[in-house]
This record gives sequence, C-alpha cells and structure tokens, in this order.
Amino acid sequence: MADYSIWVCEYSYVADYHKSGVLYGAHNQGYVKLPYCYVVIKGRDHVAMVDVGYNDKDYGKALGDRFKVENWHDPKTVMSEIGIAPEDVDTCFISHAHFDHFGNVEAFPNAKFYIQEREISKWVWAMSLPDRLRWMMVAVDPGDIVRGVELARDKRLVTVNGALADVLPGIDLHPADDSHTWGSMWVTVRNDGQAPSQDTWVLAGDLIYVFENIKGPGDAVGEREIYTPVGLAVGSQANLVLATEEMMKQVDYDDHRIIPVHEERIRDTFPSRITDKGLRITEICLADGEPSKVAG
Amino acid sequence: MKDDLFSRLATVHRPDCAIFADGPAPAPVPDPETMARDFGSDAAARYAAACRPLYEDLRRVVGQLAGLLILAQLTTRAEVADLDELSTCRARWQQATDRLVGLAVPAPLQPHLDQLRAALDFSGQAVRTFSDLRPHGDNTAAFDRIAASVQRAYAHLRAASSDRAGLEMVDLAHACCSCGR
Repeated sequence: MADYSIWVCEYSYVADYHKSGVLYGAHNQGYVKLPYCYVVIKGRDHVAMVDVGYNDKDYGKALGDRFKVENWHDPKTVMSEIGIAPEDVDTCFISHAHFDHFGNVEAFPNAKFYIQEREISKWVWAMSLPDRLRWMMVAVDPGDIVRGVELARDKRLVTVNGALADVLPGIDLHPADDSHTWGSMWVTVRNDGQAPSQDTWVLAGDLIYVFENIKGPGDAVGEREIYTPVGLAVGSQANLVLATEEMMKQVDYDDHRIIPVHEERIRDTFPSRITDKGLRITEICLADGEPSKVAG
Repeated sequence: MKDDLFSRLATVHRPDCAIFADGPAPAPVPDPETMARDFGSDAAARYAAACRPLYEDLRRVVGQLAGLLILAQLTTRAEVADLDELSTCRARWQQATDRLVGLAVPAPLQPHLDQLRAALDFSGQAVRTFSDLRPHGDNTAAFDRIAASVQRAYAHLRAASSDRAGLEMVDLAHACCSCGR
C-alpha cells in the first residue's frame, strides 16, 4: 500500500558542470550534466513539492549567458506532463533559500511554504556582516526574501524550528544545519504511513547531488566506498556527511531510497521518459491506483 | 483590508501594492555599461564602477529589511526593532546615503541614479517605520507599511540592476549553476 506518488521533474539543466561542484575534491575530473529539478508528491488529499525552481524572467538571461543554463520551462508546462497544475499544489517544502530552489513561489498561488527558521534568521545575520564576509551570503536573492514577506503576511510561510513529523500525513521534515546552507532541510515520505516505516523515501534537496555523495571513492582511506560530500557548502562538509548518515538511517541503509534531484543518472534507476521539451520526468513511486506518467 | 468582493473589485490592487507608493514607478533604465559604450564616456565608466558599493549597500539593506520583517510578522514581536541586525542595517543605509551624495553622474545616466535614489528613499522609509512597532498592540498596519516600502525599494533596485555592469541581485559565484566560469 502506497499513499503517495513521487515524481522528479526536470525544468532546466546545465550541460557541462564541473564535477568538483557536485563531489568534494573531484578537481580536474571533467564535467557532468546538472539537471535542475523539483519533486512533486501527490497523495489522496494533498499535492506537495520539494522546492519550486527559479523564475526565468528574473534569472534566465544571466544564467543562460554566464552559466549556460538552458531549456528552462515553466511549472505549468513541466507539471502538465504528470497531469498536475501549479494551482493544485497546496504545500511546498523549501530545502533551502538558494534562488534555484526558492525562486518561483509566485507560480504556486495556493501553496503554503515550509522553510527552516534558521534559513531565514541566519540570512538576516549574514546580510548584516561586513563586506569582507560577503561570501557567507552567496546564491540567495534578496528578491526571494522580499517575496517571503508577502507569503508571511498571507500566512503562507511557515518557519520550522528543527525536525517536524507528519507535516502532512506520513511526511516529515529534517534539518541539516550549517551544511549546504545555514538551515538546509530534507524531507522523508513514509509511504506506508507507519512509524517506523518500511517504505521511506528521502528527498535530499542539495544535501546529496549525485550517487557518489553516498558511494564515493574510498581508496584514500582504505575503504571501497565512503560518503563524499557535495562540493558546495556554506556550512561544512562534515555536516553534510553527518546529514547523509541520518538519511541512510531513515532508509535502513538502502541508498536506492535517497533521491538526489541533481543526479542525471536516476533515469537509469527509476522509470523515466523525456518529454517533447527535452526534459526528464522520473517516477520514483506510485500511490495505489495512480497510473504511470512515464510508461509508454 | 476587508476580504470581500466589493473591496477587491473597488481597489483592484492590494492597498500595499508598490504602485500606490509615492514617486515615479520603477522602470528599467539603460545600464551604466551600455551607456558607457554608447557614449564612449570615461565618466560613465567611472560612474558604473562607483555605483557598485552603493548598489551592494542597497541590496543588503533590502535583503535585511525583508528578513527582519518576516521574523517580525511570524513572531508578532516588536522587539525585532531592537535587534543588532537592524542597527547594522540602519548604519548601512546611512553609508549608502553618503555614497549616493558623493556620486558624480553623467547627465545621460541620471535616470539610473534616480532609481538608486528611489531605492534608498523607500528603504529609508522602511527602516524608520520599524520604530513605529509597539510592544503591546496590533502592528499589522506598520508591517504593511514596511512591506510596501521594502517591495518598492526592491523594485527600484531591480530596475537599476545590470549584470554586465556588475550590479546583480544574486551572487551566483557559488550557486549550483556556477561552473567556475
């Protein structure tokens, strides 16, 4: 019995991304494709998302010109492939406040947004620091925080202080402080509704970019595989590794159940299809009675 | 605002819509680099370079104000006005004011400077309105005034943004898309 269907929806991508960005220490090891995706979770009574992408109107030109981000499509187009409209979404879990995860809230007019309290409070703190410490506020757009003001006024912004169980039935939020960002968050879906669950999926946000973050090369320490953190962290790589261990505990060390949204190769491990826009839909699981959105 | 059909139809916009704030509405203006290229002006290039610290001040002020306002709205605590972060925000706003006063602007770039000045003015209104928050009582109206000012300041700053001139809202150097380019 499964309560929720889960899809990873690609909305844009970078064709050639430095591998060292996704895997700590992988310098001069070439490039990988970096898909930009959000996760859609559809249950009987709710449609939820993990992250909402960015708005091409605000960022598209700079991203295209400077970083070769290409093939952006809006949520209406992307989500139509799984039969869902942005207006259907009632809940969004924001894994962190980077513009490519929190940069398109206006596309989801009926959603309530959950974000870690620390992600906001540390942002305020970081913005107050002297210019020489500016590095600590990279990749967050003040405009997204300004839009957060509107959400807060409309009672559509919920700040979460640490872990929160059953934010929706069977869906839990987990903090990863001082890791990729100050207040990053990951999401578990207990798809049998039980606690503990035998059917848990971890939606990792940017705490896990690629499979090697879980099964990285361990030669240097005499191990076959070790956790190897992502390359980008405003907090610490150590905290990323600790978050990985927490995720693995949640799924009883079955790494197949940890979903890295920036990982192109999940198309090889889950049923997927490429849309006529050249974007990928990956089907992680289906709720009882839900037809596949990727089957021929 | 009453959330009834009459109110919605009669006002069209929300009362705190940035359009209702005083002063000319934000509009994109030629960015300094384009102007410098078109006019071949050293003065324009100097202006573009001199703008960057001011722009960064304003970006930080707007971001801080928005974050502080979210905290105030969510907690309904007026003590947000006593936080050190608001003091540093106020100091940075004053620094921006001083920088703007000292900025030499070539005539063709006056519209650009006007947008920065408007962003400064509206963010100043927001900073001052934090002082209106009362420890006991309903601060909804003050929150709405701050929100309107912050949104308007952001809109003016966005109008003055130019990635080619290094006036950018978001530092993408360490973003997920940054490939070290």
